[in-house]
Amino acid sequence: MLLKSLLPGRTATKRDLWALRDVSFAVEPGETAAIIGRNGAGKTTLLRLIAGVSRPSEGRVRVHGRIAPLISVGVGFHHEMSGRENVLVNGMLLGLSRRQVAQRFDEIVAFAELDDLIDTPVKFYSSGQYVRLGFAVAVHSDPEILLVDEVLAVGDMGFQLKCFDRMRELQGSGTTILLVSHSLHAVRLLCPRVLLLSKGRLVTDAPAETAIGRYHELLSAEPTHLGGAHDPVTALSRSVEGPDGPTHHPKRGDELRYRVELQFNQAVDSPSLSFQVTSDTGIVCYAMNTKPGQTWRRFEPGDTVELEVAFNARLGGGTYRLSVVVADRNAGKLLAMNVGEVPIYIAPRPGSLGWADLEATITAFGLELSEYDDLTLKAVPGSRVGG
Amino acid sequence: MTEVSELGAPRMVELTNRPDTRLSWLSDLGRHFDVLMVLARKDFHTRYKRASLGLAWAVVVPVFQGLIMAAVFARVVRSAGGHGYAAYVMSGMFAFAYFSQTLGAGVTSIVDGASLTDKLWFPRILLVTVPALANSVGLAITFAFLLAALPLLGGVYGIHLLLLVPSLLLLVSFTTALALVLSALHVYFRDVKFLVQAALMVWLYLTPVIYPISLLHRFAPFVIANPMTGIVALVHLATLGTSRGAILVPLLVSLGSTAVLAVVGAEAQRRHDRLFVDLL
Repeated sequence: MLLKSLLPGRTATKRDLWALRDVSFAVEPGETAAIIGRNGAGKTTLLRLIAGVSRPSEGRVRVHGRIAPLISVGVGFHHEMSGRENVLVNGMLLGLSRRQVAQRFDEIVAFAELDDLIDTPVKFYSSGQYVRLGFAVAVHSDPEILLVDEVLAVGDMGFQLKCFDRMRELQGSGTTILLVSHSLHAVRLLCPRVLLLSKGRLVTDAPAETAIGRYHELLSAEPTHLGGAHDPVTALSRSVEGPDGPTHHPKRGDELRYRVELQFNQAVDSPSLSFQVTSDTGIVCYAMNTKPGQTWRRFEPGDTVELEVAFNARLGGGTYRLSVVVADRNAGKLLAMNVGEVPIYIAPRPGSLGWADLEATITAFGLELSEYDDLTLKAVPGSRVGG
Repeated sequence: MTEVSELGAPRMVELTNRPDTRLSWLSDLGRHFDVLMVLARKDFHTRYKRASLGLAWAVVVPVFQGLIMAAVFARVVRSAGGHGYAAYVMSGMFAFAYFSQTLGAGVTSIVDGASLTDKLWFPRILLVTVPALANSVGLAITFAFLLAALPLLGGVYGIHLLLLVPSLLLLVSFTTALALVLSALHVYFRDVKFLVQAALMVWLYLTPVIYPISLLHRFAPFVIANPMTGIVALVHLATLGTSRGAILVPLLVSLGSTAVLAVVGAEAQRRHDRLFVDLL
């Protein structure tokens, strides 16, 4: 169905930047796979190669089937043309005939919810409206292969749900879907298989939970979170340990130990240290100060202190960052945030949402269990906006 | 490398670091002919849609240019006047207006089309041919105007007017072929756009649009080597029924350069087709 192999070969000259290297995989018809990785990992480049927009400098991309374009912000539209004209051009570029586009036109506009704006040049559209129209055209062109680049992060919540439903439908009808997304919830729910890219290389090709866990290990291996010598406080080392040793994807309710060794780079009379858990959207889910009221000794530059925080991961599903906040208690000044940051990923309890795991049980009288499953799927994708 | 299904869409595409083969590139091009027509129509409409005088501008602008040129040069170059001079200037001006407008839009077409090409595959050569095709509607309108006003401009109706068809076809072909080469170059060297703007100013004066070729004795080699000379001379012949100066050699230059540029341009487009996008 779809085979890619970018084989290693001649060495790159200094000025060459390899967006992708050693990436080999095949996706079977009807399969759904997600591509995850940090910004600049090569995710979009990979989709562009598969879309045929760009060709590889080495290796081979083989695609069987009709491809709907990369759907992302600014998808193949002509800015001066109206929405109506763009639907026609776009639909035809996707392989529909003029008549087929005309037949599906009302359906497309209704799906995009752009009835009022359809005769306005698309340059006046918001980024969300842009993506809505692009997605609508693509899913109405009977694609055999759908390439989706960060759609779920752009539209409003209502539209995200609609996209999500539509992708489910296409999955059911045998469309092959490749999804690039930072929304790990969406990835987990839509894609049984996840490809993890890092710096242009395929690191992991595995079931979703495994790959997402590995992604968090990679994130924490990045030295950038440690801070530099110019910061008032830097972390020398940090780790998270679960019941089975070091981990970045603990289970819900695991007893975890977060260890961090801090070094002071400037003299602080009475520092206050707090342990903090933040969501990937920056919300503080939990914070705990070191022994409130305790007087600390003065720290000189070069002095170190080791902290160990033991806690229970009663967290909802998602990505969290464990870190330390350092303040100067006497001066009432914040010295450093997010010191010794470690990301962890916790798989959500099926059907649950949010930052806390309250272990709720629901008894819905007169409701079948299968209906409950449907409700769950519909509730989740809207939970994370942005990426 | 491309298998074709019943629907006409490619069933299997294989991409390597080599360009598409000529055959698959051409068949891909053929499949996108409908899209070209739609894009050209939209291009034509958007150009005039927002202006209150609309389509009239397609005629008014070159007529105005022609009138000024004729007025100025009729005084400066005495011998330029004479019977049918107005028709001579107008027809040449209309042809040259198409050339300069289309070349200006064509050179930047691939760079300007980035928003359309960023996520979606189609042969990029389409973008270059869009202005050539869209502007040819304007060209047809200006020459329809010329035909209607021919008696007023000092021309006469006759069989020679049929020559307008091949002469305008040659004009469109040469312009498109040159745009193919320059638009590909412009992706790599963004100076091309400005060079073209500057060159077009000089080009007009090296083409016998306003004065007869015989007046340009000192620059004659440049004028004859200029492919537009033959095209404009053919347009003059078609409009007036007589040519003012040699036509055969300039015409051979035009035909030859059109053929060479078309081949070079198409090859450049094919070879760099999927590479452009990374430079936009």
